Amino acid sequence: MIPAHWAAQGPGVGLNWNLVQDLRQLFEFHFMVNAFRAGTVVAVAAGLLGWFMVLRAQSFAGHTLAVAGFPGAAGATLVGLNPAWGFFAFCGAGAAIIAAVPRARAGTQGAGFSEESAAIGTVQAVALALGFLFVSLYHGFLNGINALLFGTFLGITDAQVGVLVAVAAVIVLALAIGGRQLLFASVDPDVAEARGVPVVALGVAFLLLLGFAAAEASQITGSLLVFALLVIPAATAQRLTARPAASIALSVVIAVAVTWLGLAAAYYSSYPIGFFVTTFGFAAYTLAQIATHRAGGRQA
Amino acid sequence: MGLTLLLAGCAKGTERLGSATSSPVKLTVVAAENFWGSIAAQLGGSHVAVTSIISKPDTDPHTYEPTTGDARTVASAKYVIVNGIGYDPWAPKLLAAQPDPGRKVLTVGDLVGVKEGGNPHRWYSPGDVAKVIDQITADYEALDPADAASFAALHTTYTTAGLAQYTSLIADIKARYAGTPVGASESIFAPLSDALGLHLLTPPSFLTAISEGSDPTAADRAAIDAQIKGHQIKVYVFNSQNSTPDVAAQVKEAKDAGIPTTTITETLEPPTSTFQDWQSAQLRSLEAALAGAART
Repeated sequence: MIPAHWAAQGPGVGLNWNLVQDLRQLFEFHFMVNAFRAGTVVAVAAGLLGWFMVLRAQSFAGHTLAVAGFPGAAGATLVGLNPAWGFFAFCGAGAAIIAAVPRARAGTQGAGFSEESAAIGTVQAVALALGFLFVSLYHGFLNGINALLFGTFLGITDAQVGVLVAVAAVIVLALAIGGRQLLFASVDPDVAEARGVPVVALGVAFLLLLGFAAAEASQITGSLLVFALLVIPAATAQRLTARPAASIALSVVIAVAVTWLGLAAAYYSSYPIGFFVTTFGFAAYTLAQIATHRAGGRQA
Repeated sequence: MGLTLLLAGCAKGTERLGSATSSPVKLTVVAAENFWGSIAAQLGGSHVAVTSIISKPDTDPHTYEPTTGDARTVASAKYVIVNGIGYDPWAPKLLAAQPDPGRKVLTVGDLVGVKEGGNPHRWYSPGDVAKVIDQITADYEALDPADAASFAALHTTYTTAGLAQYTSLIADIKARYAGTPVGASESIFAPLSDALGLHLLTPPSFLTAISEGSDPTAADRAAIDAQIKGHQIKVYVFNSQNSTPDVAAQVKEAKDAGIPTTTITETLEPPTSTFQDWQSAQLRSLEAALAGAART
């Protein structure tokens, strides 16, 4: 049933029908324990922030922030720093630049909207070009460029897990304090502003947090596959339920589930983690679409 | 955060699976590249089980990305041999993710004192190879003191009998052809050229560019063309595992100009070969090319 190359992964490793033994194998090595710790933390942060991103229709900004992580990581490698610092610095800077562009509003759609997406597109092109420059400047053997773009879970140290936990804690804390107002400002900015909610400041703060979440997710899924954790779980959750609290919780659960499944699949095969996380997320999204379409059809 | 703690708890309660149950237990050794692995296997004999990660001729070590299987292999090893000098940066990452106080790591670059940015191809330096051999035996003796006498005997056998042909070929080429001007496609040949006393005329910046996979400059290309067309070099040595269009063009130019060419490879060729058989075969063809050049 299982292809031979799935089982041929070295001494004593391979899938069999004993689930307990499979699970024990999964946590046999410290590097896999770290991968699960890091993956869980990243999935929680991405599931939370991604939910607001999809709600606010800022997916393009989120993608650009993730792409900004690529020159960040490449630049950090170039000057001999840990790529994690490059991810956070560049994703944060990208968020600040995008925040400086006036946000499109319902009612003022025409010019404002096209200007925003054009500016974000410009930032994305510059980010990719910078990343390519840093890679070219790096004399020596830059391997791991695939890992920067498409993700890796090998080689995560205890210290890196610590950084991911600290940043995720900031994200969770910020949402716990300002999440309710952010939700209000996202759903109906005009009414929220009239009621005294600082809509513009919240938007800027949200972009910064989104930059950090993109930086976190980039370290597992790579810069190009960040949407696997930032968009897919949130879009699936919003498809399944309209109640905000349940939808946010579902987004986090889906993000964590696809990450765990992706890690397990990548562990037992020789194929990349980014592919598995994305594919499991896509499967969840497709199932949600089919399920809600059927339900909707019956009601109509 | 609760999940993180839960996962940590799982890991602590899990026993190591799949370790060798036969007794006596072999020392598990992992070499990042098969040239070091071949030496380590011969120095350890039946007391060690050596796995090399980069072991296929069609794998480019410069752009290698480890698989999950590699991470597991490295994580289970008690002795790890890494080239260093930026040649296998994935290896220290895998080691850092799997702390193990009982594990010994030999980083060749650190042992021979070459820093990042220097020429990483230390297995083409006979002097550095000798240092690595001594260090591996010393580490084996420290990790498995019960078999120390056996490791000392294996060391003597390898350095005297095993490497005999390799050593004599080097001495022979040096005695006959020292000072001969030669050209090469990349920096992999530079340490061997130095040891043989050959005069490597190719601009170092070109050698490094090809080796690192960046674009060589037009000035370097022009200089090499002049060296070939003017017959300033007697033999052209190129890495057949890293043959860029620039290199292929130079090989053709050299052949057209009647300059003998010879190949060297990054890793063991064929992959089932030993370090000394592989190196000796390359040295013999280099010697033949030098002899051919001397006749014309």
